[in-house]
Amino acid sequence: MNQCGNCKKRYETNVNFCSTCGNQLLEKKSNVIDFIIAFYVSIIVFIGLSFFIYDGYKENIWVEILVESLFISLVIGFSLVRRKEMLQLYKFPKINKGLLSLYILVTIVNSFLVYYGVEFVNSFINDVSLNSYESYLYLDYPFLWALIFIAILPPIFEELAFRGFLFNLLTEVTSVKSTIIATSLLFALVHFSFISLIWIFPFGLFLGYLRFKYDSLWLPMLIHFIHNLCVLLVDYYVFNS
Amino acid sequence: MENKIEKDVMNCSFCKEQIEKEVVFCSNCGHPENGTDKERAQFFAKRAMEKSKNIDAGEKIKSARNTLFVLCGIMIVYGFIYYYSTKSILDLGVNFFVALIYLALAFWSEKKPFIALLSGLLLYLTLIIISAIIDPTSIVKGILWKFLIISYIGKGLYSAFDLQKVKTVNPNL
Repeated sequence: MNQCGNCKKRYETNVNFCSTCGNQLLEKKSNVIDFIIAFYVSIIVFIGLSFFIYDGYKENIWVEILVESLFISLVIGFSLVRRKEMLQLYKFPKINKGLLSLYILVTIVNSFLVYYGVEFVNSFINDVSLNSYESYLYLDYPFLWALIFIAILPPIFEELAFRGFLFNLLTEVTSVKSTIIATSLLFALVHFSFISLIWIFPFGLFLGYLRFKYDSLWLPMLIHFIHNLCVLLVDYYVFNS
Repeated sequence: MENKIEKDVMNCSFCKEQIEKEVVFCSNCGHPENGTDKERAQFFAKRAMEKSKNIDAGEKIKSARNTLFVLCGIMIVYGFIYYYSTKSILDLGVNFFVALIYLALAFWSEKKPFIALLSGLLLYLTLIIISAIIDPTSIVKGILWKFLIISYIGKGLYSAFDLQKVKTVNPNL
């Protein structure tokens, strides 16, 4: 239902013009675009700055915790503006068990393909890829820290940022198909890596599709978690053997 | 019941949409069906104004699209310059790949100008940040050009958004 801002007449259905005074009743939504740009720019500026911070404080868990919590507060801060819509996305979806196992299987196979594909490309261009487990070896429980910072936190907050907040804002101003493509592209871009751009884009399309199909963030979060966990486990296995 | 509906509704003489008989303005296109001559004149003047605004918006979208083509070209040229100084095939590949994304976005903007230009703008901003990580002084290099590129894509982006908004109201415009 909407109301004419000029003569206060109420309408049950969506109308373009008020039939009593002729006032145009379309909401002005260009501030949504400003909001999208502001959100994305703050994220990339933050990631850019965190590169310098990590460079200055190598192997310091407190700095990592601080940077990670700042990122989480940034995402939650923006999401609070649309907290009602965001909370809606945390309802459990109804999903067929067979389909769920299929998604999980595809994710596991895909994560191995991506892992060895990236290894192959890196060996081809003589670049040493970073072992994600190895970078936490300076700590007492490296696997636990790697699990938190690689497999648990990123899926929760990256999904909220891209499949939650950004996705909802974009669907207000464009079609669902364009939204899925744009969020995947931006999701791939914020990883700031050329090789990840190639495989994260299709991965983002898959996550965006699941977010749209089930209207919930649980499934993209689960798939993202399984993917990151598989990569971490392979890294763990490769390091120990 | 059917008779009653037929009595109360009519078709708007301008957009042919079904509307209630006693209303002053058509709720779909805003045509003053039962309005005064002055209101009718205002309606057509407003439509003429919107039409010229649309032509203007089309021009801005076109220059934003051309900006994306220019960015694509710049990436290719830079790719060759880096390749000749570093001899690294990776630098060349990365530049070509980014150029390809700009090219794809430029072509996509013919179909979906709003979302393609938005993606193009955010891609450009991301690349500025990435070069700032590699070399912090790069952020002030050619800053006027950067503003110019951002303003060209931005203008096209907002025009595309307005155009898309107008289209949903008046599909026959």
